[in-house]
Amino acid sequence: MRGVRSNQRIVAGTALGVAAVLASILGVGTARAATAFSIASVAFVAGATLLASREFRHNHPVAARAAISVLAVDVSLVLTAFFSATVDDNLAIGAAMSIVLLGLSFLTGSSGQISLGNGAFMGVGAFTVAVWANHHPTTPIAVVLVLAVVAGALVGLLLGLPATRLRGPYLAGMTLAFAVAFGAVLNLFGTWTGGDSGLQLPAAVNAPAWVLHFFKPGTSSLTTNSVWLVDITIVTAGIALFFMANLFASRTGRAMRLVRDNDVAAELVGISLPRARVIAFIVSAAYAALGGGLWTLINNAVTPSTYGFALSVTILSLVVIGGIGTIPGALIGGLIYAFAANVIAWFTAHTGLNPQGNVASQLNGIIFGGLLVLTILFAPTGIAGFVRRRWAAWRAR
Amino acid sequence: MESASGSSLLELDRVSVHFGGLHALRDVSFSVASGEIVGLIGPNGAGKTTAFNVACGFVRPSSGHVHYPAAGRSNVRPSELARIGVARTLQGVGLFPHCTVLENVMAGGHIRAGGDFVTSLFALPRGVRSERGLRTSAMAMLERLGVANVATQMPSAIPYGVAKKVSVARALMSEPSLLLLDEPASGLDEAELEEFAALISELRSSMGVLLVEHDMEFVMPLVDRLVVLSFGEVIATGSPSEIRAHEAVIAAYLGVDE
Repeated sequence: MRGVRSNQRIVAGTALGVAAVLASILGVGTARAATAFSIASVAFVAGATLLASREFRHNHPVAARAAISVLAVDVSLVLTAFFSATVDDNLAIGAAMSIVLLGLSFLTGSSGQISLGNGAFMGVGAFTVAVWANHHPTTPIAVVLVLAVVAGALVGLLLGLPATRLRGPYLAGMTLAFAVAFGAVLNLFGTWTGGDSGLQLPAAVNAPAWVLHFFKPGTSSLTTNSVWLVDITIVTAGIALFFMANLFASRTGRAMRLVRDNDVAAELVGISLPRARVIAFIVSAAYAALGGGLWTLINNAVTPSTYGFALSVTILSLVVIGGIGTIPGALIGGLIYAFAANVIAWFTAHTGLNPQGNVASQLNGIIFGGLLVLTILFAPTGIAGFVRRRWAAWRAR
Repeated sequence: MESASGSSLLELDRVSVHFGGLHALRDVSFSVASGEIVGLIGPNGAGKTTAFNVACGFVRPSSGHVHYPAAGRSNVRPSELARIGVARTLQGVGLFPHCTVLENVMAGGHIRAGGDFVTSLFALPRGVRSERGLRTSAMAMLERLGVANVATQMPSAIPYGVAKKVSVARALMSEPSLLLLDEPASGLDEAELEEFAALISELRSSMGVLLVEHDMEFVMPLVDRLVVLSFGEVIATGSPSEIRAHEAVIAAYLGVDE
């Protein structure tokens, strides 16, 4: 019986793969781009076939997590080639936000700590990338992003140490102080950070030569700066997703949940509370910094006002809206963030509002605030929790 | 200090605890050796829970020392207990409410689970293997206590008596040499009490047990030795039959005028 089912799956998967290849050749035009899409389709079919097997998911959890990450990246990369540059740009901003949300989801959802400072942690990464790129313009992007992660982790450690002695509102207060002080600290080092006006990157990030060579400039949208940035953001988000899924499923993730659930019992099974709490802070800050670093690359610039207190509140709202402590929740939150920019653009275009005006600049807050209220009222476990419950109820019927 | 059998696992040495002007414990000394079951009893407010918390490092003694001779350690922090072979259950059930029963029991084996943060982050084979092993042994422990059928349930969904067994299963997962039980009998019915007593006496073969308990009918036939606290002081130690005849104990419990 099982053999028959898996054969059917392979046949269906192959048919899907062939269809995808044909569609991509028709849609893209150049043979090389079509080759790339074909590879993507084959990877998708192979991954989906593996994941469809319950046995595989059970016996190879790590490979299954890797396959999910690869599939998510794969599909997103293919889709970006079909969207407009504006949509792509918004998606990249949203994908970077997803990384930040993964980090806060781990801190708040798993270890039970609250942070109102993750916008500032993002800022740490954003400025690390900008400052470094201005002093060492030839450093590869991957290395610069790693530096942003390290910088975020260090600041997270600094803030996490005192945070181990604080709970609830006091911890929120301390992270709030960090968020508020961040702008002043940037100003203090104005010669490095560019003060109020921030920094420009010395050059826009472009695809490396081998990619340009493969696709031949001008024949494919893949080689444009905006699509390339979207692609690296998506790939980075995929890697971040994989690592976070590992953490959630591991001994470390379990230790976090135990600390959150019952700290006395957690100590008794041998978990050091301060250590667990500091680790959660470091992870959260490192993820936020990575997202911030990507924002600098995407925007080609960084301004201190972006990383004010409002951003931290938005991040916390998005984690709650998406579903706290879950990976799909972080992705949903990122999509909502990306989508909100589109909604605002559409709204201002159709109402004749000045997009740079006062009202338009408040629309973000109205959207997220409204969604937050709706979530807390009707889906306390966030959209991810809501969907999961509905799905379980539907299957149980 | 007399020790019935085996090596000494826990020694409280002239421990006093003051909370401001209140003397919760005054010069309390007793010990627990491997292979014996020691009951800590006393009227309400006698300092039993404080003594327990001192033994676990949750409360620092104002004076005196807590030794773990078998482990060669003194005055440890609570998070170090599991590593020196001490496990404790909490009053009530003290389970992790948002984790399944199986995860609760796996948590008990935290110190045995391999792998640090890096192992977790990169999902290195060592960590994955050890998680799988932990899951298997947690399942085996649930089976040993006869509650494997609730492995996938949440703690709030299972009966109290079963949850108590799960909390013992969690404590046993660290393979302790000393087990501290905080009011193991509370909230259990007759049949469950009997099962629990049988389980605890069975444990004696591989570890020492210290329990705090109100229920005398449960404690008396079970323990080898009793330590009686009253107003923060040890007023008697000895076998159940000795304690039953002890005048000071009777006075403390019945409030007889002297």
